[in-house]
Amino acid sequence: MSEEQIFEQVVKILTPYVKDEKALASISGETNILEDLKVNSARLVDVVLAFEDEFDIEIADEDVDSVNTVGDCVSLIARTKG
Amino acid sequence: MSVRIALWLQRNLSRLISPLWIPLCVFVMTYIFRWKIEGAKSSRAEYSRLRKASVPVLICANHLTKLDSALIGWALGGMTFYLRDFGAVAWNLPAREHFAYSWWARIAVYLLKCIPIDRGGSRKGIAQVLSKLTWLMNRGEAGLVFPEGGRSRTGRVDVQSAAYGVGRIIKALPGCRVLCVYIRGRSQDSWSDLPKRGESFFVAVRSFEPKSDKGGLRGSVDIAEQVMMHLSAMESSYFDDHA
Repeated sequence: MSEEQIFEQVVKILTPYVKDEKALASISGETNILEDLKVNSARLVDVVLAFEDEFDIEIADEDVDSVNTVGDCVSLIARTKG
Repeated sequence: MSVRIALWLQRNLSRLISPLWIPLCVFVMTYIFRWKIEGAKSSRAEYSRLRKASVPVLICANHLTKLDSALIGWALGGMTFYLRDFGAVAWNLPAREHFAYSWWARIAVYLLKCIPIDRGGSRKGIAQVLSKLTWLMNRGEAGLVFPEGGRSRTGRVDVQSAAYGVGRIIKALPGCRVLCVYIRGRSQDSWSDLPKRGESFFVAVRSFEPKSDKGGLRGSVDIAEQVMMHLSAMESSYFDDHA
């Protein structure tokens, strides 16, 4: 699975949690999930669990700490999938 | 100064002045606020039993007022108990916005075994605070957290609002026992800053050892949900018995 495909899936998963829908129009790897997309920090866990289900991976607690941007999600998923 | 030395210094400074602040807290709750705890004998016996078992103990409670930590401490032990076993005075993680807003508040929370946390802050910042608590609990200190992550806005335990960090702490501490505490003022209908003067508090405790077959983040979420289910069941019992 390419990083572009992962990116598309990540955006799809994030969409229901996004509070600032305008930010979705210009979403990129640099987009910050909490600050730009205004995803509720408590819901970030649900987002990561959705990644686990979608990509059939297991994400460690410590790895969640490094997730800030959409690009971080893509790199984490690509790295975990191996 | 390393984080660990700083934590140990905080712990020992707090211990040094504990013969002043522990009786002062009890005095204020007993004679100024005129609060009363119902069922303290059994909750204290259970906490004392867990402390003697020499396993990490994480106290997980429902959360309705800003002074719940002090009330829970009082419900779980008397002055002599805490002065003899200072590790039993639980560390807690108050929201920085409420408890560390001025220099005197920062000194107070420092001396009362608190590690302020930035609610809604960066994941790394929160992880550092959880890691400090885990390190302390590995060394015989008790911890106190509110798994809902804040005062319950509905006035009832909200199972859906489980903060997964609770599960993360427990997973990092093999053999960790959770002491669920359900505390509620008899006239406390919803959340508030302070309980009413003269309030009488119902308290119930239940201990268990959470386990999960799941790994990673899902395991932490699973454990956090187990804790919330216990608190929710305790709340249901309260309302069934006191309706």
